[in-house]
Amino acid sequence: MGVAELKKAELYYHKSVRDDVAKILQSSGACQIIEPSGDARWTDVDSLLTACGEQETHIRYLFRSLGNHYTDPISSIDRMLGEKPRLSLKELAQAAQKTDLKELASSVKMAETTLNELRLEISQLKANAGILSRIADFPCSLDVLGNGTRTLKGVMATLTVDQATALAGDLLPWATGTELFTAARNPKDKEVCIVVMYARAHEQKILELCVLNGATFVELPPHISGTVPEESAKITARLAECEREEAEILRGLDRTAEEWMPVVQQASDHWGILHDRYRALAASDATDSVILTRFWIPTEALPGLQKRLELAGSNTALVVSDPTEEDAPPTLLRNVFAVQPFEILTGLYSPPPYGDVDPTPLLAPFFFLFFGMCLGDAGYAIVMMAAIWMLFRKYRRIPQTVKDFILLFAFGAISTLLYGIVSGSFFGDFIDAFPFMAFLRSTKDALMLVDPMKNPMQVLGISLFLGLAHLMFGLAVGAYDHIRRGRYVEAAGDKISWIFFIVGLALYCAGLSGALPSFLSVIALMMAAVGGLVIFWYAGREKKGIFSKLISGFLAIYGSTSYLGDVLSYSRLLALGFGSAVIGMVINLLGGMAAGIPFVGWLIAIVVIVGGHLFGLAINILGAFVHSLRLQYVEFFGKFYGGGGTPFSPLNISARYVEIAESGE
Amino acid sequence: MELLGLTFALFGAALSTLLAGIGSAMGIGIAGESAAGVMTEDPDKFGSCLVLQALPGTQGIYGLLITFVVLSKLGVLGGGAAVAVNWNQGLQIFASCMPIATVGWISAIYQGKASAAAIQMISRKPEAMGKAIVLPAMVETYAVLALLTSILMLMGVSLG
Repeated sequence: MGVAELKKAELYYHKSVRDDVAKILQSSGACQIIEPSGDARWTDVDSLLTACGEQETHIRYLFRSLGNHYTDPISSIDRMLGEKPRLSLKELAQAAQKTDLKELASSVKMAETTLNELRLEISQLKANAGILSRIADFPCSLDVLGNGTRTLKGVMATLTVDQATALAGDLLPWATGTELFTAARNPKDKEVCIVVMYARAHEQKILELCVLNGATFVELPPHISGTVPEESAKITARLAECEREEAEILRGLDRTAEEWMPVVQQASDHWGILHDRYRALAASDATDSVILTRFWIPTEALPGLQKRLELAGSNTALVVSDPTEEDAPPTLLRNVFAVQPFEILTGLYSPPPYGDVDPTPLLAPFFFLFFGMCLGDAGYAIVMMAAIWMLFRKYRRIPQTVKDFILLFAFGAISTLLYGIVSGSFFGDFIDAFPFMAFLRSTKDALMLVDPMKNPMQVLGISLFLGLAHLMFGLAVGAYDHIRRGRYVEAAGDKISWIFFIVGLALYCAGLSGALPSFLSVIALMMAAVGGLVIFWYAGREKKGIFSKLISGFLAIYGSTSYLGDVLSYSRLLALGFGSAVIGMVINLLGGMAAGIPFVGWLIAIVVIVGGHLFGLAINILGAFVHSLRLQYVEFFGKFYGGGGTPFSPLNISARYVEIAESGE
Repeated sequence: MELLGLTFALFGAALSTLLAGIGSAMGIGIAGESAAGVMTEDPDKFGSCLVLQALPGTQGIYGLLITFVVLSKLGVLGGGAAVAVNWNQGLQIFASCMPIATVGWISAIYQGKASAAAIQMISRKPEAMGKAIVLPAMVETYAVLALLTSILMLMGVSLG
């Protein structure tokens, strides 16, 4: 239980068995490769790594370009829950090797280039069609705009109606050599399109007048040289052709995506696995014929690995040693089935350094309890359990990490059910609110031990007591950790003294309120005094001079206010549990009110009650999870735990799109 | 004048939903802007962004919760006749609503800011989701305490 024991392994093997050994290390999934210090590198695998990298570049490109044309038949949720095609490594390799990714990528790239060119042309055609539509009634050939004749040239421009009138006036002196065409316009349009045709001899002057009047010239490509109706027809025809081609290419890409994406996904997993393997080899040292790979391995996995290496031949030698002081081994948490799902919570914070106390089994019972108190509703618990049961029924191959996460909520649901029964909450006050549930009332009332609605102070007291117990437990663990390391003074001064002080004060207060016999309060006071004195002494022990000793001591005693804050922080257990119950009550109330509406009332009531409770469930699960977690991280961990370890991440066969069948290489 | 107490009490009830709701709306808005920014880069983050964005929403629910407790205490729910409340009791109920109304309002805004920052954090470090959830929840503590105070105060006000 706790942090698994690791060994430092040095594996020497002959180059001839390189691939076999690497495969064994990877498929064992139990070896975390240690990067060599210094710049020892074995360059033989660099070419292999480069090859992997090239294939992965193609794969990334294909994912990006074909991804838009592909709807994965397996939804991402299904995939996360383990619904993936099951292949052996061999089948995966075959699938990957029969595909020429480079060829595929270049054909897709070609299709994309053509597609982009087509789209560019389409946008140009549309722009030209737009221009032509503005001078639809222009009677002459458009060649006059593009090329003109020997003496004649035309220019097209847009300007406001007022500017056009002004320009027409300015052009009057040149009337003999010019002609102004004004296109028909919609009365609402503020701009008008004109064509000025002029003798080339006056070109400069005419253009100048246009510019002075604020005209914006519109250029048409020179190949548009027929009349407007002719050119419009041409453009429409070409546009239709382009759009047909575009649709054709898109259909082709869709087909390619459908045909090849599953293969590309498999190839992605294949090359990813190989990449990991070669990286491990790249982190090895080598002579001309021998390779040395160093790795961390859990002691329990050692015999299995040795056996597999022996089967592979006699060209390997495994040297195993214990981690030394200078080493910083990673942390692998190992806990019994019931605690294992809670490892997620430790991992979210930060795993313990190797050799330290694993807080998982310590926090598990408290998280279990707190989650139940915060959510605190038997109805919600039943919904959660049903959902989890259905999930496990539907999905049979859920990966371990996801399974742990679901199990964590399953534990939460059990605790919620228990606390819901004890506090008499079933979808809020569902049993009391609706007459048809009356048959359950006596059972519910008989099982109730606490009533947060009528007597919140009782639950507040329980919450604070649990908080005190949680904090003192944290301090006790801290003290144990100090003693284990032989730091007795720290254990006594920093942890045990506080336990004495706070428990003593708490008992004394309980005695004052008459909850405890009076002779106990004397003992409690003595406990607190002893604790306080030790705290006082411990804080000032390294200070020089009586004065600074005194100040440090008083400051330390003053620090007890933080414990007051910590304990009060557990009042959230009451508040959140009460919150869930009242939200449930409100939903039932609204449902009951809706039921009074004639004819459709029952329907609205069902919608309100079902929808409302689902919403309440979601929001309360989030709240219960977050706040139970916070009590562990801030209040509990603050007393003894700092984290700071690195998680054990072994070289393994990790596939995203397929499931690797256990047997078969 | 005999309805003055009821008016005070209803005023308090209105303020708890109103102020806490405004705060939550602002907080969720602030976090939402940040989430939208992150999701333009990485649309796959929708799930985790949504959870972080939802965190400042609880204050509005706490406010609503207190409103309902007050309304049911006053007996005005479901169209029944209100119980008699003298102006003293009305003011007491008003005072009981103030903790969640004000703390809910302001803490939701600050929690929204913390959520927005946490969303930025998971955009760079998706594995830090656990820490990212806990940081905004630290702010919520004070809304929970205010809720608790409001509940305990309301329980203490006796009508009739």
